[in-house]
Amino acid sequence: MLARTPSRSPGPTARSLHRFLLNRAAVLGMCMIVPMILLILSYPLWWSFKPNDIDLLAMNAGPTTKHWFGTDGVGRDIFARVMDGGRISLLVAITSTIISAIIGFLVGAVSALAGRWADAVTMRFVDLVMTLPPVIFLLVLASIAGTGIRPTVLVISLLSWPLLARMVRSRLLELRERDFVLAARGMGAGLPHLLFRHGLPNSIDILVVFATLQIANAILLEAGLSFLGLGIAPPAASWGNMLNAARSTAVLEQYPWQWLFPGGALVLAVLAINFIGDGLRDAFDPRAELN
Amino acid sequence: MNRLSILSSAIAFAAMMATTAIPAFIAPAQAATLSGGFDVGPGGFQGNFNPLAATGGFTWLSVYFEPLVTYDEKLQKVVGVLASSYDVSADQLTYTFKLTDAKWHDGKPFTAKDAKFTMELAKNAKTGSVLAARLGAVSSVEAKDDKTLVVKLSTPSASLMDTITKVMMLPEHALSQIAPDQLAKNSWWSTSPIGTGPFKFTKYVTDQYVELAANTDYRGGKPALERIINRYFANPAAAIAALRAGEIQFTYVDSNDLTAFRNNKDFRIIEGDSFVVNYLGFNHDSPIWKDIKVRQAVMYAINRDAIIQSLYGGAAKPANCAYVADQVVPKGIETYAYNPEKAKQLLKEAGWDQINGNKPITLLTYYTTPLAANVMAAVQAMLAQVGINVTPRAVDTPTYNSIVLNPTPDTAQFQMVYAGLQNGPDPGSINVGLNEKQIPPAGPNVARVRMPELTAALDAALGETDAAKRGARYQDVCKVMNSQLPWGPLWVANRYGIASSKLKDFVWTPAPGGGPYQAYPEKWAIAE
Amino acid sequence: MKAEDGAGANPAILAIPPHGNEFMLRYSLRRLLIGVGMLLALSVLIFVLLRLTPGDPIDAYIDPNVPMSPSDLAELRMTLGLDQPLPVQYLAWLQQAVTGNLGYSIQRPDRPVLGLVLSRVGPTVLLMGTAIVISIIAGIATGMISAVRRNSVADFSFSVLAVTGISSPPFLSALVGLYLFSVYFNWLPSGGMLTPGGEFSIGDLLHHLILPAMLLAIAQTALIMRYMRASMLEVLNQDYVRTARAKGVYEFWVITKHALRNALLPVITLIGSTIGLAIGGAIFIESVFNWPGMGLLMVNAVENRDYPVIMGSTLVIGACVIIVNLLTDLAYAVVDPRIKVD
Repeated sequence: MLARTPSRSPGPTARSLHRFLLNRAAVLGMCMIVPMILLILSYPLWWSFKPNDIDLLAMNAGPTTKHWFGTDGVGRDIFARVMDGGRISLLVAITSTIISAIIGFLVGAVSALAGRWADAVTMRFVDLVMTLPPVIFLLVLASIAGTGIRPTVLVISLLSWPLLARMVRSRLLELRERDFVLAARGMGAGLPHLLFRHGLPNSIDILVVFATLQIANAILLEAGLSFLGLGIAPPAASWGNMLNAARSTAVLEQYPWQWLFPGGALVLAVLAINFIGDGLRDAFDPRAELN
Repeated sequence: MNRLSILSSAIAFAAMMATTAIPAFIAPAQAATLSGGFDVGPGGFQGNFNPLAATGGFTWLSVYFEPLVTYDEKLQKVVGVLASSYDVSADQLTYTFKLTDAKWHDGKPFTAKDAKFTMELAKNAKTGSVLAARLGAVSSVEAKDDKTLVVKLSTPSASLMDTITKVMMLPEHALSQIAPDQLAKNSWWSTSPIGTGPFKFTKYVTDQYVELAANTDYRGGKPALERIINRYFANPAAAIAALRAGEIQFTYVDSNDLTAFRNNKDFRIIEGDSFVVNYLGFNHDSPIWKDIKVRQAVMYAINRDAIIQSLYGGAAKPANCAYVADQVVPKGIETYAYNPEKAKQLLKEAGWDQINGNKPITLLTYYTTPLAANVMAAVQAMLAQVGINVTPRAVDTPTYNSIVLNPTPDTAQFQMVYAGLQNGPDPGSINVGLNEKQIPPAGPNVARVRMPELTAALDAALGETDAAKRGARYQDVCKVMNSQLPWGPLWVANRYGIASSKLKDFVWTPAPGGGPYQAYPEKWAIAE
Repeated sequence: MKAEDGAGANPAILAIPPHGNEFMLRYSLRRLLIGVGMLLALSVLIFVLLRLTPGDPIDAYIDPNVPMSPSDLAELRMTLGLDQPLPVQYLAWLQQAVTGNLGYSIQRPDRPVLGLVLSRVGPTVLLMGTAIVISIIAGIATGMISAVRRNSVADFSFSVLAVTGISSPPFLSALVGLYLFSVYFNWLPSGGMLTPGGEFSIGDLLHHLILPAMLLAIAQTALIMRYMRASMLEVLNQDYVRTARAKGVYEFWVITKHALRNALLPVITLIGSTIGLAIGGAIFIESVFNWPGMGLLMVNAVENRDYPVIMGSTLVIGACVIIVNLLTDLAYAVVDPRIKVD
């Protein structure tokens, strides 16, 4: 392993990597997500069914050696759809999480560190956004943005940042009064310095938890959007819209593979991301080695 | 709690396996009470108490209100309820109703004055009446004596009787003091309405249920049940759960939820014609559908028999025009049997590559059920096979209506719709969706069908005053539709209700808008 | 790092800071005034958004299978005043609203909006309150255990459960719960708040409440647990906790007295901020269980584009969110006196 090379004083990145690799949960997370991504990316090369090919004679068939995960209500292969849906769901979830994390962090940190006026104005704005009923917001945004991956990412990102903004602010408000920040300010440190040298390291734990939970949330929001005729346009699969099939009581009870497999894939992916997130947080925590 | 989601599913299936043999049935303690989800499904209208404003929900409303006339339970002919008989003059302009002896729930007699009062409210758009336009041909309503009502028309109307079945009689003595424009806002409807039906309104618990009690003085005899409860369900799956848990004895179900009830002696499946034809509507404002060969190709490309067999479980009839009923479908029309090679050939002849090629075509629908999602997926895949690339888009009803009813629509948003239109019991109901005079903003011809031949056939059928010849006129309409393809007609599906086997003499049919029809609620009974 | 030592180790924090009561009162009053302004801004925003939403109340009224002509619909629009210019419509609404009249529901014209909304407050508070109490207790407890016994079997299993809870779509957990407990086991009623036609009793109410409340608490518990764990880990690494440990303070006291209070800060924000969202999140649970709360009212209103009801319920929810956020900010000051509210 990299960190074990006999250099006398490894740099901070190498030490972080070393700590990351020593974290069992993080390694487990990597062991889950890497094969999953490999499968998702490579499946068209070795799997004979295409995700959108229907076969009305083989509909609602349970898992067999031919169809590993069974087939859905129009005879599409669930395995191919879980793989294909994984691409879209993970793409949408990861991009929208990054965007909303950036917006949320910036708004929260600026609010906490840029002075009382900025705080009051931004927080009242955040309150306003959080008060709007999400359904109305979605209907309007989506009727303007339309369907497809990009509008979906946009809508999900715009809907998800306020909670993070408030959490980051609450963490940094405490920081605002601490000696080293007061000192930095006294020495004339600019806002960017405060944001990234003090704000970011001190809210990294919140960001990591937010990001890992938001991945799941974004995948489910995408599913919710497809109820409104928005989100990913059918017949393209996503984990979210595959889960929607369980609205039918017949699917819920008699054909559980139609929702258990995409649901299981979702749980596994989020779990892996969670473990990796925890590992990353620990790895980059400057105080960790003191333990 | 967290473990519920995944573990519970595993437990659920284990439990299901274990309990399939034992009927999970616990009878509610109150005897002679029927609970049902009467307003679940497409014919229901939860939360509406005002029959003048009702676009559905007549199954329930007609348990405590009554119209002058109604359909029989097969929805084939109009029969009297509060009218013991009726006469139509030879010129089709005067309708005379003889009224029966009936009493309001508060004991006052029902008279022709009440009937006149109600008809005038229904004709007055200020009351919020949705029947006003349909009663436009009515020029006067007179109470000749206490038991005789005379309705005069300015022009003959073949659909007048159909409209009158939806006019629930209202008591003049209770409502005459309220100004017509305040009537809809009055709380009378949901607190103390009185009708003439076999059950009396007792209470409404907001968004939970409505309770009725037997009207022991009912002219048709004392009802067998003591109470009827109409439970509200915001989610159809919840209604099915309540039915299977034994909390209710009746609800509507979607056809793909039937499996749990088949071969189950605790439940009786009630099947009926939906009277709704499903179709693929070509937006005739869009140039891509101009060539009839393209429209024919769409028909040949879709394997309707396979969809009906697999997705509908066989419970639908393929439609080759707006109708499937024998008396209005002529012999020898084209059946558009599945033939993808022919479809490809037709597209080639039409020059589809130049017309549209592989560009995505939005297929808009307001059907958001799991069944519809499967149908759209199948249609999408079948059309893709011949080179027509459609993108299904399911939106909620208001969004759909605002797009398609817009007088200046954005053609890109709906080049094609997957929709339904009521095609019976009165075959004339399709007129509004196909007649050129009904193109928005004048009417709801959302496909913008401009076919003079079809318009002429429809006008001829609607104007036909001889009931015996009407069938032949509608056959002409069918023939034109079949050859010109204003839409791609798909099928007429059946709809289902599930009743507990303990219900006796229970009459229900999946009528469009919930009817009304003759259901004899006074005879409904429940076994102990 | 004197300040940190002091704050963490000083237990006498529950007292309101020196310039205390009067300052807090003035601050709260000011925030409430701003709140009124915000409600006004919210009403304008919602009004505009609603008019941008595709479809209006009349579009929602028609069954596309049984269509009506747009010219008849125009008449209905006129009677509702929907043909007026937007500012006129808004001012007419506002004029009534300031006198406490939020208009009549369009879908159910016999119901005044204010009564309709207020009748939902009780059931919503009951359901949400129960769920939130469950999730706070379960979430904080499991979060703390996870942080203290980090990387243990308990921590690992709580993580798996939390992730599963977070990844289950609300409609799916609601349906699975419903089928499991009311159809297969027949232990609990399938929906509603009271048995139809029955007499009111607390037992009956609890019987109907327990399942939706538990299901509603799943996601919230998972959320609180994850943030609590992260926050607790962060605090346990802080110098003052080390100091306390070094001084030989019992581990139990280190955790409950020194660490817990500081770790709670982001969690309080989380709880405060999610109350508004949770009302929206209850939509699925309320619709599957037909619980007559705000979420169900709202979703029906949106489906029917019932403008007055959407306006009315948004404003009531908005007022709640504003008050809860104010309480959250006040709670920071109580938990950590170094934070000066402004």
